[in-house]
Amino acid sequence: MQTSSQRWWWYAVYVAVMIVLGVAVHAAGKRVEYTWRWERIPQYLISNDGTERNAPFDGFVSIAADQKTLTLKELRGGRTQTLTGFDDLLVGDGDLVFQNDPLARKRGWVAGPLAIGLWMTLKISAIALVFSMLLGLVAGLGRIAKNPAVYGLATSYVELIRGTPLLVQIFIFYFFVGTVLNLSAFTAGVAALAVFTGAYVAEIIRAGIEAVPRGQMEAARSLGMSVPQAMRHVVLPQAFKKTLPPLAGQFINLIKDSSLVSVMALTDLTKAGREVVASTFSPFEVWFTVAAMYLLLTGSLSIVVRRLEKRLAHD
Amino acid sequence: MTDTDAEVLIDARGVGKIFANGVVGLKNVSLRVKRGEVVCIIGPSGSGKSTLLRTLNALETISTGEIEVLGQSVHGAKADLNRLRTRVGMVFQAFNLFPHKTALENLTLATQIVGRLSAADARMRCEALLAKVGLADKHDAHPAQLSGGQQQRVAIARALAMQPDIMLFDEPTSALDPEKVNEVLDVMKVLAGEGMTMCVVTHEMGFARAVADRVVFMDAGEVVYQDEPERFFDAPDNERLRAFLGQILK
Repeated sequence: MQTSSQRWWWYAVYVAVMIVLGVAVHAAGKRVEYTWRWERIPQYLISNDGTERNAPFDGFVSIAADQKTLTLKELRGGRTQTLTGFDDLLVGDGDLVFQNDPLARKRGWVAGPLAIGLWMTLKISAIALVFSMLLGLVAGLGRIAKNPAVYGLATSYVELIRGTPLLVQIFIFYFFVGTVLNLSAFTAGVAALAVFTGAYVAEIIRAGIEAVPRGQMEAARSLGMSVPQAMRHVVLPQAFKKTLPPLAGQFINLIKDSSLVSVMALTDLTKAGREVVASTFSPFEVWFTVAAMYLLLTGSLSIVVRRLEKRLAHD
Repeated sequence: MTDTDAEVLIDARGVGKIFANGVVGLKNVSLRVKRGEVVCIIGPSGSGKSTLLRTLNALETISTGEIEVLGQSVHGAKADLNRLRTRVGMVFQAFNLFPHKTALENLTLATQIVGRLSAADARMRCEALLAKVGLADKHDAHPAQLSGGQQQRVAIARALAMQPDIMLFDEPTSALDPEKVNEVLDVMKVLAGEGMTMCVVTHEMGFARAVADRVVFMDAGEVVYQDEPERFFDAPDNERLRAFLGQILK
């Protein structure tokens, strides 16, 4: 047993090492003659620029006397468009504007590209998570099935997916499956992630079911329950508890793996990071920020799962 | 209890069992149990006692022979096992209570999803059974909060909740601390007294002598000898049984 003073000594060592690492990173940043411009980053998370309203077609602008209503009359054609509820006018009465020109601005806070990318990442991960659970449950039950056809199909799926890189699977989903089934980039991305993660979930669920003592199934069967009844009421609830920690790990992987869908025409957090780098020329700050945002997602998931585990731990 | 004209509830004839790994579990075993009879099966470990018991409700398959329980072929292709098992209760050495359910839920689960009782009827029947095994105050306890003896009594009540005609006990007291053995045996004695048909694999010689109508000795996958308890324990006409009894009663 360690005494408490020894423990404090090792905490101090931990803090010291962390400080040394931080200083080293800082010093390394100085050596490469890089100008850190952290102040540029917040506007890509959230900005007070407001939202601009753009012209839907070419035309002439007329503005009402109270400056609160703007009417656009189409140049060639009879359409008109009326705008209200804006704060600043960006054009004058009688101006000729072209399609997509900014007409007016509504003030207020708006999400920057990184925040929009974070939301996209969250959306892709959450939908893929639900489908990977369903797929994993079916395939996991298939992996313990006695029926050779069911077992063979489930095993082939798991081996095929676990034996090929996710990036390659994403390309196949995007270029082949997506083309054949006419999927959007979003659907193809979600499908690729769900199919990939489902194979790992299947193995976790299989292991969880096998970790429930055989006597549980026997006791349920000896009471006259069918196999599906025993699975549903006796085995799976216990297996679920055992699989929660590895499932949480797998879903954290899912969030991180979702960064690979940025190779498609999908603006997730990673793709947004690349775009922001292109416009700021501050790659160090942007990628550190993106990493921190991924950490925010995965960290919150860890906390939620730990809470759930505690609530389920009654035996 | 033994009535020569009573209906035969268990009729196993020439049962053989070879496990997947080639080990011989049972060799040409025959066993008949009549309604109301209490049969205790004893023998050294690995002698096939538990295997035999588990073939009676098809938790274990058989390689040869024929088993009829309650007039139905257990190992035939057309056996309705789920239905048959509701009429044959089983109690396990390791209790096998459902750890995620309370004591009462352990009892009600099958009565509701298999026996199709309403929640209120299931609760009424199962509360009475918990009271019968002396655990009226433990309805809401999870198995982990109960002692081994209490868990095994819940397990017995759980099997009784399906209102079976036959009860199978697979070494019900072997996993218990010595001071908890009697509370379980007492429940079993009450059941025997009520005329329940019972097959008990056990190492409790005192229980076998006091409660059994017939004791069966198994060794190396065979039924070597069976007799009424007095003669079985005091003057058995069999060399292997005498050697076995000599060892354990030493």
